[in-house]
Amino acid sequence: MTLFFKLAWRNLFRNKRRTLLAGLMIGLGLAAMITTDAITIGTIDNMIASATRSFLGEGQVHRDGFRKTLEVELTIADGPALFEKMKNDPLIRQASPRTASFGMVTSPANVQSVMLYGIDPTYERDLSQIDDLLVSGDYLAAADEPKILIGDKLADLLEVGLGDKVVVTVAQAHTGELSQELFRVGGIFRFGSRQMDGGMAFIPLKRAQEMLKLEGGLHEIAFLFHDKLKSEDTALPLWTELSAGGNEALSWTGLVSELAMMRSMTDFSLFLVGIILFGLVSFGIVNTLFMSLYERMFEFGVMRAIGTRPRQAAQLMVMEAGGLALIAIVMGSVVALIVNGLLLHYGIDYSDAEFIVALREPIRPVLTLTQFTLYPFLLFVFTCLVGLYPAIYAARLTPAKAMKRGL
Amino acid sequence: MENVIRIDKVSKIYRTGEVTVDALKEVSLTIAKGEFSALAGPSGSGKSTLLNIVSGLDKPDGGTVELGGRAMTAMSASDLSDFRRDHIGFIFQSYNLIPVLTVEENIEYVMLLQGVPKNERRERVAKILAEVGLDGMQKRLPIHLSGGQQQRVAVARAMVAKPAIILADEPTANLDSKTGHDLLDMMEEMNAKHGVTFLFSTHDQMIMEHARRLITLRDGRIFSDEVRG
Ligand SMILES: Nc1ncnc2c1ncn2[C@@H]1O[C@H](COP(=O)(O)OP(=O)(O)O)[C@@H](O)[C@H]1O
Ligand SMILES: [Mg+2]
Repeated sequence: MTLFFKLAWRNLFRNKRRTLLAGLMIGLGLAAMITTDAITIGTIDNMIASATRSFLGEGQVHRDGFRKTLEVELTIADGPALFEKMKNDPLIRQASPRTASFGMVTSPANVQSVMLYGIDPTYERDLSQIDDLLVSGDYLAAADEPKILIGDKLADLLEVGLGDKVVVTVAQAHTGELSQELFRVGGIFRFGSRQMDGGMAFIPLKRAQEMLKLEGGLHEIAFLFHDKLKSEDTALPLWTELSAGGNEALSWTGLVSELAMMRSMTDFSLFLVGIILFGLVSFGIVNTLFMSLYERMFEFGVMRAIGTRPRQAAQLMVMEAGGLALIAIVMGSVVALIVNGLLLHYGIDYSDAEFIVALREPIRPVLTLTQFTLYPFLLFVFTCLVGLYPAIYAARLTPAKAMKRGL
Repeated sequence: MENVIRIDKVSKIYRTGEVTVDALKEVSLTIAKGEFSALAGPSGSGKSTLLNIVSGLDKPDGGTVELGGRAMTAMSASDLSDFRRDHIGFIFQSYNLIPVLTVEENIEYVMLLQGVPKNERRERVAKILAEVGLDGMQKRLPIHLSGGQQQRVAVARAMVAKPAIILADEPTANLDSKTGHDLLDMMEEMNAKHGVTFLFSTHDQMIMEHARRLITLRDGRIFSDEVRG
């Protein structure tokens, strides 16, 4: 066995250039695979972060049925008390109480219906990024000043700017009577999402509660975890605790299920990419091994003549394939580290595009242990399997024929 | 005298496309233990084909081959490999050695396949290298040896596993006459000292003169078979 290891390894370095080129080619396949995976994970993480950190939060609590109907009366059961409890929960880093309702915003020039959120500026500041994404004006300061934050698209539509007055109309709880109030545009934000920038507005929570006649009630509590991975743990008891008394607590995976679905879909597309890459790579492997076999035909004949069994000749070829794979793995991993290091440093800018959410931050590849263990392992096994083809060919040669052809 | 090889009505037909060549036509031959014999004959007369069939490197189209009393023609490829490993030594015209292995490793190769323990391998390698006059060349790679030295390593490798017979297909064809002569002397000495059976194919006049039995092939048939003193 060690004899054939020695032979295989030395044979690989007989034609250094060919071996290194083939190794590089196979290695590039591995690097492409690793990079595709890293960017995919990076993209999805980015999208998830973008969605959860901009406004959604990693989880939300509503009254059962609120999400479907958006009925003003459906406030969270014991909302303020629940909020206090959540503030002190060891798993939760940040919680923010909100109202959410349809509203009409009217300017002298136009009128537009929006999702109107009442937010507590203090709590909201640390949960969402409204304060960071203002393109002009200021974030809400006091809890009850009559100021409104709108997106740049909505501002364009209403033809209003900072300090301009707009009228906000909502329907009150229980009676359904309309309630109107005057606000000044205090700030204009830009999330980069058409839907958010053209159809969302924020006013102070207290004002919203009064306008909607909620008597301190809340429609939504958004929250973040200390450990964001917890948000995907559906078995966490917190979800049932927060859902007690007729409420509904959901993770982002349930709130924007497109994102969660996308993640499972990418697993499949990565599998396809893998098959295509490995398919291409296998041509390289078979080609290299056959070239080196044809060059050494006579030698194989001699080896067979002096007592090497067919199986042992095949073993040698497979070991050479395995050795080639090892070289390829080293080269491919180095290339992958360099490429992903650069991508990590510079990032891939997609801030102009909008997928399911807007990607404001550049995408950065995410390197995982799997990419550098499972993928190389699969490549190794795959290369050895592909190597079986020339190996069986070598084993089947009758020694006399091999020596005749090798001359 | 005990027979090492007994072949009976062996024929071999090569087909390449439309052309068929009767390389061997019902050749029968026995080689006894300790012989130092040569197969002579013009190029294309079937010498290599006969050696290949005797050693199981190729299959005959008819007839039977027995080596040391065992029917070669009935063995599987794997059994044939083991049989050659244990009972037959080979010397070819050139490129005998595995280029990535050193002199010592080339000679060890067969013993490694046989599973001979390391100490014994080293001992036997050193002894045989002294006998073929290549002491101190253990660690050299074949490309750093002259043609004559390479053939000596091939002889050493063929000898080291103590085979029943050594088949040598034109072993001196690529050597100058002085080197060829030295190699032949060495093989004669091995034959005399250890009683190893040699069967050559050759058109080297010198080997024909030294051979104690000269079998001449012509067109795939044995044309003459003469035993000398
Ligand atoms: N693999 C082969 N395919 C076709 N013809 C062959 C093959 N090997 C040998 N021959 C033919 O068989 C005949 C005998 O060849 P060979 O045994 O090599 O002769 P020698 O060794 O005496 O020169 C020749 O005519 C040769 O062309
Ligand atoms: Mg010949």
